Amino acid sequence: MIKRSASFGGALLLGLFVAGGGAGAAETINLADVAELSGSGATVGTNWKNGVDLAVEEINAHGGVLGAKIVVTHADSQSNAGIAKAQVQKALDSEPYALLGPGYSGSVKVCEPLAAEAGIAEIMGGEAAELTRMGNKYVFRTSFGQQSSMPKIGKYIAETLKAKTAAVVYVNNDFGRGGHDMILKEFAARGVKVVLDDSTEAGQADFAADALKVKNANPDVVFIYLNEEESARILKELRKADVKAPLVGETTLIGQKVIELAGDAANGAIGHVGLTTDAPVPALKAYRDRFYAKYHYVPDHNGVKGYLGVYMIKAATEKMGKLDSKGLAAALHGLTITTAMEPNILMDVTIDENGDLDRESFLGKVVDGKQVITEVLPKLKN
Amino acid sequence: MTAKGRNFLGLLGLAVAVAFLIFAPLSFHRYGIYILSQWAVMTIAAIGLNLTLGYAGQVSLAQGAFVGIGAYSAAILTTHGWPLIAAIVLALALCFAIGWLLGYPALRVQHHYLAFVTLAFSTLAFLVFRNELWLTGGTEGIDSVPRPSIFGLSTTSHLRYYYFCLFVLALVALAVLGLVRSPWGRAFVALRENPIRAMSLGVDTRRYVLMAFAIGSALGGLSGALYAPLVGLVEPPAFALTLSFNLLMMVIVGGSGYFVGPFVGAMTAVLLPEWLRFLESYYLILYALLVMALLIYSPTGLVGIIDRFLVHRRTKAASAARAALGASIEAKAP
Repeated sequence: MIKRSASFGGALLLGLFVAGGGAGAAETINLADVAELSGSGATVGTNWKNGVDLAVEEINAHGGVLGAKIVVTHADSQSNAGIAKAQVQKALDSEPYALLGPGYSGSVKVCEPLAAEAGIAEIMGGEAAELTRMGNKYVFRTSFGQQSSMPKIGKYIAETLKAKTAAVVYVNNDFGRGGHDMILKEFAARGVKVVLDDSTEAGQADFAADALKVKNANPDVVFIYLNEEESARILKELRKADVKAPLVGETTLIGQKVIELAGDAANGAIGHVGLTTDAPVPALKAYRDRFYAKYHYVPDHNGVKGYLGVYMIKAATEKMGKLDSKGLAAALHGLTITTAMEPNILMDVTIDENGDLDRESFLGKVVDGKQVITEVLPKLKN
Repeated sequence: MTAKGRNFLGLLGLAVAVAFLIFAPLSFHRYGIYILSQWAVMTIAAIGLNLTLGYAGQVSLAQGAFVGIGAYSAAILTTHGWPLIAAIVLALALCFAIGWLLGYPALRVQHHYLAFVTLAFSTLAFLVFRNELWLTGGTEGIDSVPRPSIFGLSTTSHLRYYYFCLFVLALVALAVLGLVRSPWGRAFVALRENPIRAMSLGVDTRRYVLMAFAIGSALGGLSGALYAPLVGLVEPPAFALTLSFNLLMMVIVGGSGYFVGPFVGAMTAVLLPEWLRFLESYYLILYALLVMALLIYSPTGLVGIIDRFLVHRRTKAASAARAALGASIEAKAP
């Protein structure tokens, strides 16, 4: 055994050189991005990263922010909260101007106290409601979280559709459960009775049984909160089962991909459309084209989020008139960025005191295989 | 080199490594300390798997699930005000008991089939973590897992918690070293090498198979109980099959059946990807290629390379001595 300890000592020494600090800031704005570049969240993280890179490239091409160029570093969290925490620590050790990411809510949860401790603003992609409700003054969303979209959907179902009963079908993961909990709260507050609460698996192929459950529950409305492929599958099954109730969901129910996959079965589906490239906004469509020209694929909403995160930092810095990393969070709070001030913010947005975003959104319906916007939903506040 | 000289060199290397683990982090940033803490925690789980797989030869793809059970036990109890030490004791006992039960199939099936049984257990554990909302918090997991106070000292600072993990790792290492050098350790190896012969020599194979599973799993649970306060969050994906595969890789890359294998293997699995990060999007690809190349070159892992080298030198030295002796005998012959 002791003979082997020679190899132990040698190998241990060989290995133990852990990277220490990072480069100091000169006249550049150093942004540190920690994203899900591999593992189960690779699509999320890669879209986010590409959005960030596109924004940085555009801003630098136009002279940077207050004359300073942006330099961004990307670190892979492997979609694992433990590794995300390590990478955020590494990023903070190098004293960045601001932190971008992560995208998974669990990862954000473990990282945001670190950013707060360092006094660095964290512009992240997580959508879980509680992320901005923990009293952290340094965390900011880039999307219209579930806590903003679900009240709008709840209101539409209770007041416009006048539904008294609802069936809820959701995907049992971080994304699905967050939306499920929010909509149930909305239904409870608005007196809509949930007659079916159906949990499904991510990647589920067969929805015949779920469709039958919905049919038997006979609800006034069906709320569907699944990823795109699964949305298309359940739409087909619901049509086969001849469910007549309105089918309502989020962007993931009426996106272009769902319409392509579900064909005629998608007709009539109703969805809330936040900030996605499907939204009927010329600036968003132009963004989608620029993104496509660079990366040769259409970005999902994570691509938009990463892109906007960088422009939020730009707008807040310009508002301060100086490069002040410690003042960035305060400058972001209460900031309204209009497209007149910053065209690439894509839509007017207000950042509230919790770091949540407020902006207009849309209600869409699939008519003859096309997404048609039926209603513009105003900001929640003012 | 004489055996004495080798022992001296080995002890010197060990002393330097231990001194490094104790003193070097004092100059590290938080990131470095955190990564070393992760290494210490994962090493404990890998030591456990090395007992089950490396010494006793029982293939297990469930070690990640035991880390999960330990992590959830610690997270649930400490967020309800229990001290971490109590949670650790409970995690150890729980994983020991479940590990013992999981050992029963190993009495009937071996190799690939046993791997499948343990894989099924891993999946089952993941489903429990994810679906039993009342207990585990479901997909969102349990956050704000507090760091413990040890003898009145708070371990909120990364450095203190690292020393706590290192201390536990040292205890585990000493205990396992004692175990593998005891008759139990010999019985484990006998089980791996030739179960029928072991049985014919009076080794109670049934008891030792169950023990190998139970002790290995308990160490997985201990590792998990340290992991939860380290990260501060437990969620189902962290303990999915990937972790079991990762731990298996640590044991094999380090050198399955060598006492120091898990230390080196965990270092490779935790630190190597970190060093390769300068390659940006290619870092995991190169990491995978390096691991594959290593296992083709040396199926006995990193420690196996060094061991082979040492054995080779000893053989050469012995052959030379034999030749010299032969020559001198010939010279003396009339």
